[in-house]
Amino acid sequence: MSERDSFLHLARPLGPAPIGAQPSTAPLSVVIQPQAIFSILDHSLRRPQDQDRVIGTLLGSRSEDGTEIEIRNCYAVPHTETAEQVEVDMDYQKQMLALHLRANPREVLVGWYATSSELNTFSALIQNFYGQQGDGTWPHPAVHLTVSTVPGQEIEARTYISAPIGVTAERAADSCLFIPVPYEIKYGEAEKSGLELISSAKDREDRTQGIITDIESLERAVQHVLDMLERVSNYVNNVLDEEASPSSALGQFLMNALSLAPKVDPADIERDFNAHIQDVLVVSYLANTIRTQIDLSNRLATAALTLGTGDALTGTGEGGGREGGERQKGGERRGGKGRQQRTVEA
Amino acid sequence: MADLLKESPLRAIQVEALVVMKIIKHSSQAFPTTATGSLVGMDVNGTLQVTNSFPFPTVDIPTTDGHQDSASNLAAAAPRAKANAAYQNEMIKFLREVNVDANNVGWYTSTSMGNFVNANTIENQFFYQKEMNERTVALVHDVSRSSQGSLSLRAFRLSPSFMVAYKEGKFTTENLQKSGLRYQDILVELPLTIHNSHLLTSLLHQLPSDAPKEELPFPPNLVALQQDPNTPQPPLYPNFDSLDLSIDPFLEKTCDLLLESIENHHTELNNHQYYQRSLGREQAKITAWQQKRKAENAARAAAKQPPLPEDEWQRLFKLPQEPSRLEVLLNSRQVEQYARQVDGFTASVSTKMFAVKSNLLPGE
Repeated sequence: MSERDSFLHLARPLGPAPIGAQPSTAPLSVVIQPQAIFSILDHSLRRPQDQDRVIGTLLGSRSEDGTEIEIRNCYAVPHTETAEQVEVDMDYQKQMLALHLRANPREVLVGWYATSSELNTFSALIQNFYGQQGDGTWPHPAVHLTVSTVPGQEIEARTYISAPIGVTAERAADSCLFIPVPYEIKYGEAEKSGLELISSAKDREDRTQGIITDIESLERAVQHVLDMLERVSNYVNNVLDEEASPSSALGQFLMNALSLAPKVDPADIERDFNAHIQDVLVVSYLANTIRTQIDLSNRLATAALTLGTGDALTGTGEGGGREGGERQKGGERRGGKGRQQRTVEA
Repeated sequence: MADLLKESPLRAIQVEALVVMKIIKHSSQAFPTTATGSLVGMDVNGTLQVTNSFPFPTVDIPTTDGHQDSASNLAAAAPRAKANAAYQNEMIKFLREVNVDANNVGWYTSTSMGNFVNANTIENQFFYQKEMNERTVALVHDVSRSSQGSLSLRAFRLSPSFMVAYKEGKFTTENLQKSGLRYQDILVELPLTIHNSHLLTSLLHQLPSDAPKEELPFPPNLVALQQDPNTPQPPLYPNFDSLDLSIDPFLEKTCDLLLESIENHHTELNNHQYYQRSLGREQAKITAWQQKRKAENAARAAAKQPPLPEDEWQRLFKLPQEPSRLEVLLNSRQVEQYARQVDGFTASVSTKMFAVKSNLLPGE
């Protein structure tokens, strides 16, 4: 990926632009959310067999001065490309945009994507379409994101903005200068758990992964930490045995890490630990008691009637209901007490 | 062919990574309002493959505190709203043009701390299983629990016995006895797996994950070490967030919700008791009336007069309606859900506590 590429914008390219309609080509940075990339990859897999690349529209948000663009969403747009001409379904693009905006009113049109890194005349044509006045992103530049999906090669993403350039007035529509801009793939806190699960399937043959429980993920994290500790202690032992070369920087770093361990009185730890674990276990016990009580209450409410004949219907039914109610109150009282206790001691 | 398909029940749900990300994005954006959307995909030999999704449009209501509830309710009811059915059809029509599996296979909703077993969820899923297609599923994404560690995404369907009962709309004690429906039988959870495409797997392998294996040169000083580009980013997997020690807020929140459910349950029980009492009173009145009528008839028979009809009480007295037990059933299911959740929290929190203890008190 091109994260480590550096970008330098020297000057605005000059182009024969219509007066007063010079779109801004100020440098900008692009943030891509993983779900947009996922969506593009999915679209690339679903392309018609005879088509090398597919295109789609990018949606997202733009900072007020227009220098930061976040690509949050995208959708596919059908198009056909032959050696002589390119056809984009404008109507589809417009209607789909309207549909998307109804669900996500805060997102705006920011540009388009293609699933090959090639830039050609058609790219320029489409770029000018997305950047135009009216339906396009004007006065902000349209962002063009290319994601290469060539089998056997790394997936490579690039982002561009464009400036108008033209040799002659007739060819202004299908020529433009693509300027590469830096981009980052960023994910939020909320997406982390999802990405974790998705990436845990990356080394598996069948590319699937079941939902893991909290305790399993805890186990894996602990295992991973243990492995890392093992690695560090191996290194330290080797240094002590004079088998590996020492490094004062690493030593300092490890000392800093070790000094983070809090100094607490063992008796305090013992007391706090016991108090806390008791609270937690009490809560768990009460929750399970409540569950049993609810179950019992439900059973009593419906099962009591089978004890007698039709005449006993009212009597037992009522008894069952009341009994359930009383038990319920008991559970509630105890639940409340447990909570109080916990908040006091916590 | 169609018969063959119908015979094999849905066994598992396979969700594409794209859908997982889309649901997470939509849910966390809308949080704490409920977010709902539609799922598309296809059914392959009893495994429902969910390959794409799109959110339902939200109704624009200023999200002040007073309106939040109504906005949330609107969003929760969205899957069965008429306008959304049209939106859904239109969207699916467009998606078909770009080769997406354009079959509606269900809907998704977001929730907080497992608080999703309510009338809205049931009604939505009932609507889907009845109106759209029997083989549809509800995906429930728990935003709060996912933020705390591992992803919580679950797939549910309504059980056939509950479908029958809900169609009749009668949840009286008598009906429940006859059908033997228990609260555990309302929702059926299906196993869910995440599936990645080949391209995605390739992309994931490019992302930084593990520490470099080869020998690296030693850093000259501490600052260089901290800025070393070779220092690996925290990997996506395993997630070290799950090592976080502060679990009490979650436990507390669940307890609050649990208490709330118990209160609901209590109210429902009171309603039932009230019903039972008024039923008893009415029946006592009827019996009194019948005895009086019998006595009258005996007197009339003695006086050689024609007897008065004895079934007139059906007109004179009206038995109270039994309140629906549906609320109780749902509530019970919700309590069960909370209790299991507490169990899960307890398991991990006690593990962590023992780990901390043995770390701080080595040699014990």
